[in-house]
This record gives sequence, C-alpha cells and structure tokens, in this order.
Amino acid sequence: MTDDPHPLSEDDATAAEHALGVLTAQERARAEARMATDPAFAAQVVAWRERLAPLAAEAPSIAPSPEVWAAVARGLPANDDAPLARRLKLWRGIGAASMTLAAASLAAAVILAVRPIPTPAPTPAPPLLNASLSGGAQPLFVVAYDPARRALVVTSLVPPGADPAHVHQLWLIPGDGRPRSLGFVEPGRSKAIAMSTPMADLVAAGSALAVSVEPPGGSTRADGPSGPIAAQGKLAEI
Amino acid sequence: VGDSGDGLRHGAGVATPASPEIDLAVLMDRIAGGDRDALRQFYQATSAKLFGVCLRILCRRDEAEDVLQEVYLTIWRRAGRYDAGRAGVMAWICTIARNRAIDRLRARGPLAGADPSEALEVADGAAGGEALLVQADEAAQLARCLETLDQRAREMIRTAFFEGVTYEALAQRVGAPAGTVKSWIRRGLARLKDCLQA
Repeated sequence: MTDDPHPLSEDDATAAEHALGVLTAQERARAEARMATDPAFAAQVVAWRERLAPLAAEAPSIAPSPEVWAAVARGLPANDDAPLARRLKLWRGIGAASMTLAAASLAAAVILAVRPIPTPAPTPAPPLLNASLSGGAQPLFVVAYDPARRALVVTSLVPPGADPAHVHQLWLIPGDGRPRSLGFVEPGRSKAIAMSTPMADLVAAGSALAVSVEPPGGSTRADGPSGPIAAQGKLAEI
Repeated sequence: VGDSGDGLRHGAGVATPASPEIDLAVLMDRIAGGDRDALRQFYQATSAKLFGVCLRILCRRDEAEDVLQEVYLTIWRRAGRYDAGRAGVMAWICTIARNRAIDRLRARGPLAGADPSEALEVADGAAGGEALLVQADEAAQLARCLETLDQRAREMIRTAFFEGVTYEALAQRVGAPAGTVKSWIRRGLARLKDCLQA
C-alpha cells in the first residue's frame, strides 16, 4: 500500500471497534456504559457509526414472516397505566377454565418431577440478580440476570413435554407496572436472553417477573398476559 | 432533507419498490406521537431491510425474527429521540438493528460465527452495480475509500460489519492470531478515516 495512515487514538480505535461490532460482550457493555458518561467518547462512536452506516445499504432485503408484525403489534405498550395489582387481577380473571387447569397441572407435574435445580452461574462483576418464580411453594422457573453482559438466563423446571398445548411466556414487570414480554421458555430448557438497551434499563432489584400460560403464539393481549399467571417472583441481588 | 442518511434511504427504497416515496422521517414523527398505524407503515417499508441486517448477523430466522420484533418495539419507544438533523432514518434504525443482533449473537459466546460454514448463504451486494447506482454521495465515498484499503483489511471490515463477529472469531476463521487481526482492522479503519476526511 501507499503511505501509512494516521494511527487512531486508543479511544477513537475503541469507538470504531464498537461501531463496527467486533468487541466482546464485556467490552461492548463497557463501551455502552462509557458512552452514557463520556460525551466525547459517545461522539466518537456516533461519528464512526455514521461513517460505516452506508454499508448497511448493501445488506440484503429479506421478508420476515408475517408473525413478526403481529408480535410487534401485541407488544406495543397499552396507553393506560393501571396499577400492577389491578392488571394482575385482570389477567387472572381472564384465564379460561381450561387455561387455569393447565396452570394447575403444570404445577402438579413439577412436584412429581424431582430434579436438581440448575443454578445458572454467570460471570462476577456488578451484582447479579436472581429470582425464583413460584406458583405456590414450588419454584417453577429460575432466573439470573447479569448486568455486565446484559444477559438474562431463565431455566424452566417444568418437565420437558409438559402441557404441549400451551406456551410459557416470560414477562418483566418493571416499576412502571407495564409487562414487557421476554419471549417463551420451553419446559425443561434454559435460555439466555440478551437484553436490549432500553429493556436492560428496566431490569433492577425489585423488578417483578412472571410466567403466564398462553395459547401457541403467545398472549393474545397487547398489554400483557392473556392467560393465567403460573409463577411469579422478584429479582434480588444474590 | 439533505440529511446524512439519504444514501440509505434510497437503498431502502430499492428494497421496497412498491413504496419508494414513503417519507420515513414523517412516519417517525407520527410514531413518536404514538400513532400505531404509522408504525405499521414504517414496518412495511423497512422490515425486509432490517431483517436482512439481523439475519446476516444471526443466521437463524427464529432468533433474527425475535430481534426484529425487539427492534420495532425499541423504535416505537425511542422514536421521540430520533434527531433528523443528525442521521438518516435508515442509518438510525440499522444501527439499532445491528446493535440488538450483535448483543444476541454475543449471548452465544465470543466465538459465535467463527466457523464460516455457519454463515448464511446470501448473495453479497458488494459487487452489484445496482447497489452502487442507487447509492448517494456518502455511500459512494465510503465504497471508494474501502477500495483504497488492502484487500485483507477490506474483507475483514466488511465481514465484521455484516456478520457482527468478534476479533477472536475472525481470527479463527482466517487462522491468524487475534492480535494480528486487530491490528489489520485498526490500520484499515485508520486509513478509512483518513480517506473519508480527505
């Protein structure tokens, strides 16, 4: 090649790497945290995003399945801000008899299945949060949240194959009382959920989590669970 | 009007020929006001492009669709923060989509994407004359500057951008130490910046 380029300062190089997307999960989290407190660094990242942005025009256009829009429409927050207690009551009232039965049999199935409780053990650093979601005395789901990686790991203690007619939908209910869907949790499986920036801001000690039993495809309501709540719990520092 | 995202907006227009005249910035304003129908139109105009961005990074339709859903909910919540004077609408939402998709990819671990056989078989628009035709000044300038890099750095920067992989994963792919890959890319980015400022 021709002459050497002007080397980037360490900060500018990190900003470029963050904009390009080569940093590891921890480095990304650090870069994001720094952007929030260091306007000069944030400006460098934004400048690099703008430099690289035209490349995205080359990405292929591929139609997503029609269910995605339906899920987006369902996920739009409701415009009212009824307190959580009233909503929980509402959800409970809505559950059809068969759905309530499904939730009850789900709890019974768990009691029968004696299996060790997997303890998700992610990396140290900022305090991890965890929650045990129970539908009575029995924990049905275990949740751990790692703020450094902004990763939420949920483990279902429900036996695999239990209640194939329904899905288990995980909800985050932060301080504003509006349930946010975190997706589905398959019986007996663990799942890591990467939390997006605005969502991650909502996860804190004291945030409530709940799992509802829903028809395939998830809640039919735009503003929260449509089926009965099978388990709930609150996040707390470990 | 005259914002920095014109090239991208035209790019999206090509992706959705049925609605080339949709003014995304106007829709964004309506979305910020809580207009659900505006979000629906916006989704129709832009979702194929954003899905392409996410799928290229995640290679799995189910995960890419999950992320896409998150992206539009994010757009819904943050539309009021979009600054038209700062970036084009497509540039802004593509950044959101890339960030979410990369966050999701990282949940698979730092070596996700290290095996190129995982990569999605999607035609790369890079060499397509069509893509170049519709690009506005900034995209053309970026393309020209990328051409000034040596081929190795150019390919790695493009792979990193489209597939969202870490240095470590890139290094494994090309069979070079991660530190070497890092210095190739940093050097390439430095040259890119010089060229874009020239």
